[in-house]
Parts: sequence; structure tokens; C-alpha cells
Amino acid sequence: MTERLPPMKLLFALLALLAPLTAYAANDVALTSSVFVEKAVAQTDGKTRMVLEEPKVVVPGDRLVFVLAYKNLGGKPATDFVVTNPMPGAVAYQGTGDAGAIVSIDGGKVWGTLAALKVRKADGTARAAYPEDVTHVRWAMKTPIPVGAAGKLSFRGVVR
Amino acid sequence: MTKTLKLLAGASCIALSTFGTTAVLAAGADAGTTISNTATVSYSVGGVGQPTVANTPTVFTVDRKVVFRVDETAPIATTTVAPGQTAAVTTFTVTNTSNATMDFGLALTQLAGGTSIHGGTDSFDATAPVIYADSNGNGTYEPATDTTVLTFLDEVLEDTSRTVFVVANIPVGRVSGDVAGVTLTGQARIGGVAGQGAIATATPGANTAGVDTVLADTAYDALNTANDGFGVARDDYTVAAANLAAEKTIRVIEDPVNTIASGNAANAKLIPGATVEYCIIVSNGAGGALATGISVSDPVPATLSIIASSLRINGTATAGVCNANGVAGGSVAGQTVSSGALNNVAAGANVTVYFQATIL
Repeated sequence: MTERLPPMKLLFALLALLAPLTAYAANDVALTSSVFVEKAVAQTDGKTRMVLEEPKVVVPGDRLVFVLAYKNLGGKPATDFVVTNPMPGAVAYQGTGDAGAIVSIDGGKVWGTLAALKVRKADGTARAAYPEDVTHVRWAMKTPIPVGAAGKLSFRGVVR
Repeated sequence: MTKTLKLLAGASCIALSTFGTTAVLAAGADAGTTISNTATVSYSVGGVGQPTVANTPTVFTVDRKVVFRVDETAPIATTTVAPGQTAAVTTFTVTNTSNATMDFGLALTQLAGGTSIHGGTDSFDATAPVIYADSNGNGTYEPATDTTVLTFLDEVLEDTSRTVFVVANIPVGRVSGDVAGVTLTGQARIGGVAGQGAIATATPGANTAGVDTVLADTAYDALNTANDGFGVARDDYTVAAANLAAEKTIRVIEDPVNTIASGNAANAKLIPGATVEYCIIVSNGAGGALATGISVSDPVPATLSIIASSLRINGTATAGVCNANGVAGGSVAGQTVSSGALNNVAAGANVTVYFQATIL
């Protein structure tokens, strides 16, 4: 498994990757995902404050924040570092604060900023993509991740 | 291998289901849906592509959000009934906007005095009220079809509503303006299997791994309380009795001297040989119910000879005077004129019976 794949083709190459993966017991990169529910909590001064808490009771309409934490555990810088997160079912994308994130609205075929993507309607015309059209979100790091370096990426969603 | 395979397989399944759920779920993600997030990293070391890395999925379960309402079905107005009417119908709708299939227990109560929902004062109870299902789903009560008596609604799917009919009898002897208020209360119960499920109660304390319940019904009107698992709607019956009156006027048309032909008919007197007309106006007072099954019987004095061929029924009157129109009908037996069945008379309308007779 030394062939270098362009990121665009990664999704389709996943199945091909499965078998070689068994040979690599330890990964040089760690990735963890956590999710929080964004709740408005009334304060004693009458204002409300948004707090993040572990998902307890979760019902449609609840706002979620997904956090991806990565770390380079290997002995060399990691380059061409791309994190891809398919939207979980039943969650509608609501945006990300991370600059440079790109999204796909067609299952990972075409990528771009949300503003640049169009949805073809049944009558043949196109409309601007909405956040809820997003199927995947991706972050492609321009600079290598140094040895031992860690970072976090996050995006928001709402339970459909 | 297997772990990674599962992760990747899971990721691709999720991507597919995202397409499927976007437009369908107006009520939201189904209770019990698991939300699982998996991201992958691809990277290179020393210019060589490395195996992709996926995180352990974070998984949690969507809980049951109970939202529903019970409403009077349009037209939002009182149901007008007649004294003694059987099978008087009020119609309600139960709408489930929860993210789960629900059952709804149904209870019917009658108002005991006080102001009813449509403004009248509750003054009596309808008898033998029963809740029937709208078996064929057409929104109209049909006694032959809608025969299923309900104590609960079973398996109401997300984003659907059911119509139910409250059918009751109105006691004889009630008068116009009497009001009977009825209240239909629905209580959320857990659906998913046939038969009445357990009462839906908010899961106390912290989240559990399974499907918890949140009562999210709203106080959508003054009758309802938020987050209590109940939906309440009211309607009422208002009695409108028919207010029938019959007025008979007699007018001489001509006598043997002051004939119509002579031009002096206006001076005709009630002398033997004179022709008189009988005008009977049956009227129904304003605000009354439609009067049906009306017939008029008029015994005429023995000093008159009825001209049977002049009998007209279902004519009109103007300012209390018959227009001498209508259609042939009715019958004469001896000295009695019978109209037979007359047309129905709506509130504020009238119908006439007209005939002529000769003074013997």
C-alpha cells in the first residue's frame, strides 16, 4: 500500500484500503470524535448562556457540536493531512467555524465551499446549496502536522 | 480488520441514509435513531500515503419527543341540533407530530354549567355520548360505516392525524338556545405495537442509553398545559327548535253583484254566492331550525262550499298576503282541506296553502 491517492478518490478507494489496513496495527495519527449538545441555560441575572453538555436527552431540533481531535503520534511530520467527516444520519449540517473547510452535497463527489455549490432541482434549474444539503465536511491542512502536534476541528449540526 | 470494516461500512451506510432522511422526516428523526459520527484522516509521511485512520464512533440515541394536539375539526362553531335529535355529531382531530408512532387514550366529559367554548352557557348534558372512529378516513360521520367505538387511538403514525366523532342524543324538551358542552381529552401513550400502550411519561433523571421520553406538547390554547402529555379540545351542541306559526287570512274576491267582470270586485260583500279566498301562511321564526314534515289541515265551516280545483300548496306570500300561487296538490275531504306534505321551511321563510270557497 504505497500508492499515493489523490484525496478526491479516497472515498472510493476505502474498500481497496481495507485489506492492507490489517497490516498496520498502530497508526501514526490518532483521531477521536466527541459530541456535545448546545443548550440555553437561564442565568440568575435573567440572561441565557449557551453551554455545551454531554448528550443526555436528545430530541429533534437539538443543536449539536461535533469535535474532532487529532494528534500526530508518529516520528515524522504528517503531510497531505485530510480529515473527512460524513454527516451522521439524522443530523443536518449547520456550519463550521474552521476556516478552510470544504463540503460536499453529493456524497463526496464534488467538493467546495457551501456558497460555491449548487443543487440541481427536478425542473433542471439550480439553486444555491443549503447547509442541510451537506453530506460530508472535509478539512485539508495546507501545512504538515509536526511530530506530536495536536489540533481540534469542529462543526455544528441539528437533529433533524 | 473487522473493527475497521465495521467503521467504514457504517460510514458509508450513514452517508446513504442522510440522503434518504433529508426530505421525509417532518417530525424529525425517529425516536430510537442512533446518531453515529465517524471521521477519517488521510495523510502522508515522507511523501508516502499512509493508511487512513478512523475514530471510534460516538453514538447516541434520539429520544422520543411527544408532541400532539387535539382540536375541534373545522368549522370551528357550535353544532346546531334539534330537540329529540339522535346521533348529533361533533368532530375532533388528533394530530401526532411526535418523532414516534403514538397511541392516544381518549376520554369524553361534559361541561357542568359555565361558559361553553362557543360562548353559550352550558345548560344540559347530551345523552349517551360515544366516541366513534372515522373508519374510512373521509372526515364525515356515517352511521353505517363508522361503527367502531373508541377508547383510544392505536398506532397514530408521525405527522398524521385521525378524525374522531362524538355522537350523542339531544333530550326531547330542550328549547332554542340550550347548550351542551363536550370536552375530548387525549393522553399520549407509547405506540409501536398494536393495542393501547403505556402512558407516556417524561423519563425522570439523567439520560439512559435507550429511548427516553420528553413530553413536548405545547399550551396551544387556553385549555391546554405544556409538557403534560394531554391534549384537550371542546365543542358544544346548541339547540335550535323550529318556531312555526300559521296565519290564516280570509278575503272576499267577488259577490254575485260586485263581480270581477263588473269591475266592482273591490266592493264585494260576504253575501250568499260570494267567493272568498283562504290564505294560510306557515312561517318559521328567525333563528329557528329547519322545519320539516309540515302539513296543514283546515276544517272549513259548513256554510262554505270548497272549490277543490282552486287548492294550491307551497306558494309564496308577500307582506302577509298570499300570492295565490303554488302548485296543485293537497286534498279535500268533506269540509276539511288537507295540504299533505309541504316543503321544508327554513328559519325566516314561509310556505302557503291557498284555496277558494263559495258562501252557501
